[in-house]
Amino acid sequence: MKTLVFAERSEAAIRLAAGARTVANEVVLVLIGELPATVGSADKIIHIALPTGEVYDNAADTVNAVFDSEAPDLVLIESTRHLRVIAGKLAAHVGTSVITDVIEFDGSTPVSMYFGGVAHRKLKASGVSILTIGPSVFSDVPATEVAPESAVIEEAAWVAPSAALELLEVRPIEKSGVDLFGADVVVAAGRGFAEESDLELARDLCSKLNAGLGCSRPLTEGLDWLPTEAYIGVSGQMLEPKVYIAVGISGQMQHMVGCNRAETIFAINKDKNAPIFKQCDYGLVGDLKTLLPALSAAL
Amino acid sequence: MKIAVCFKVVPDDQDILVNSDRSLDYSKAQQIVSTYDLNAIEVAAQLASTHEASLVALTAGSALIDSSKLKKGVLSRGVDELFMIADDACTNMDALATAAALADLVTKNGGFDLIICGDGSADNFARQVDVQLAAKLGLPVVTSASKLAIEAGALVVERSLEDVIEVVRVSMPAVVSVTPDAALPRIPGMKEIVAAGKKPSEVQASGSSVVSALEVLDCRAPEQVARKLQVIDASQDGAIEQFVAALKAAV
Repeated sequence: MKTLVFAERSEAAIRLAAGARTVANEVVLVLIGELPATVGSADKIIHIALPTGEVYDNAADTVNAVFDSEAPDLVLIESTRHLRVIAGKLAAHVGTSVITDVIEFDGSTPVSMYFGGVAHRKLKASGVSILTIGPSVFSDVPATEVAPESAVIEEAAWVAPSAALELLEVRPIEKSGVDLFGADVVVAAGRGFAEESDLELARDLCSKLNAGLGCSRPLTEGLDWLPTEAYIGVSGQMLEPKVYIAVGISGQMQHMVGCNRAETIFAINKDKNAPIFKQCDYGLVGDLKTLLPALSAAL
Repeated sequence: MKIAVCFKVVPDDQDILVNSDRSLDYSKAQQIVSTYDLNAIEVAAQLASTHEASLVALTAGSALIDSSKLKKGVLSRGVDELFMIADDACTNMDALATAAALADLVTKNGGFDLIICGDGSADNFARQVDVQLAAKLGLPVVTSASKLAIEAGALVVERSLEDVIEVVRVSMPAVVSVTPDAALPRIPGMKEIVAAGKKPSEVQASGSSVVSALEVLDCRAPEQVARKLQVIDASQDGAIEQFVAALKAAV
């Protein structure tokens, strides 16, 4: 089996190449634009150099030509916004659809999320499979880092884009400061918070635990107490922290899919019948207004 | 100028239940416009109003989507006219099939200068229909647009990518998909809803054979991780101490 791997970033180039190796005997890594300092181990690297001022997406026609000449059985593509365009145009060229944001892949049946994780779907493509997939899917596969110079590099001939975008400017993004994704401990606030000022109690607990503050949907959509990036659940953040503390959260499935991969789940709710108590490791039934200060004091 | 906006109708994910065999139960879930497509409709409505353009909304799906409440909901958001393919042959289409059906509507009702799509649908969130639709129509596509303006007959688009903002210019006609922060959906008033009932909408037959390339082999809620389920009442002696001890051990 021959696999074509596309990656925009170095880590993905390494991981996806290693993952491809577990399912294919021939791995060809395709890199668009400037070559990263280290890449993954592949039988061959095909480099698509971007002419000065070209938008990344404009490489799509060249990518289609590379696909035609390589004729792979499987295509693994890093799931980035640029590469999703490349993937979509390739799928249109081949006459298929991309299996997107794959979370598990054993070489035969890719698994994707449905309704933001409410369900997992096993999908099968007629003909060649084109997958977008993140590097973390192959985090357990031993990977080799190599400098691109030490690999066999083939330069692809640039194909003039048929529907080109013109690049005007590139500037760095200013992030809002909310980064729950890397946090070891996450405190999540839900509808149990009656007033916005009560969130201070959750913030106090966060500072004791060096935790990030997230929330369930009503607090960001509707009440607007916290930024959109703080929303955990379906079509929001999907987290896997060490410790997750759900406060005043009932435990609806739409929220739980965003946190149910946490190592340990703690829950505080005044309703002893709240569904969260059937999905946590440690639960405390009581009023968050007295319990949060007590916890902060004891920590 | 003519603008089109594409949207998808999906069951409301807040009311999807999980059966005991972990399959999904949609029976309590209403058919609604997929959340991020409301943002796309708003972007399109604002552009149409600024440039005195006409705005047509397009969708394709199962026979279920042909509901007057749903159509009114869309037409009350600054949309002039609605065309839909509502055919059970269009149930659960993948991106390839959806793009083919939408391309049909675009060609039939033709001559759009700009086609706007949302960031991704609530069900598949594949974020592929924009690209496939553009490919099918032979048009350029710009994804992840957080801002767009029409300047001298061309589009200037700011794309919010993972680490950078990329500003591009593209000639029209073009397909542009917008991120949710591009515009906040309006809340239609009584006047808009009443007016929407008088606006034209048409259900058209699917002209192309709609075939999905992807087959769903299995669709189930993920298995729950086994948890310790040690729940105690806070008023019990030592309850808080126990909870704190467990918390300290876990961190």
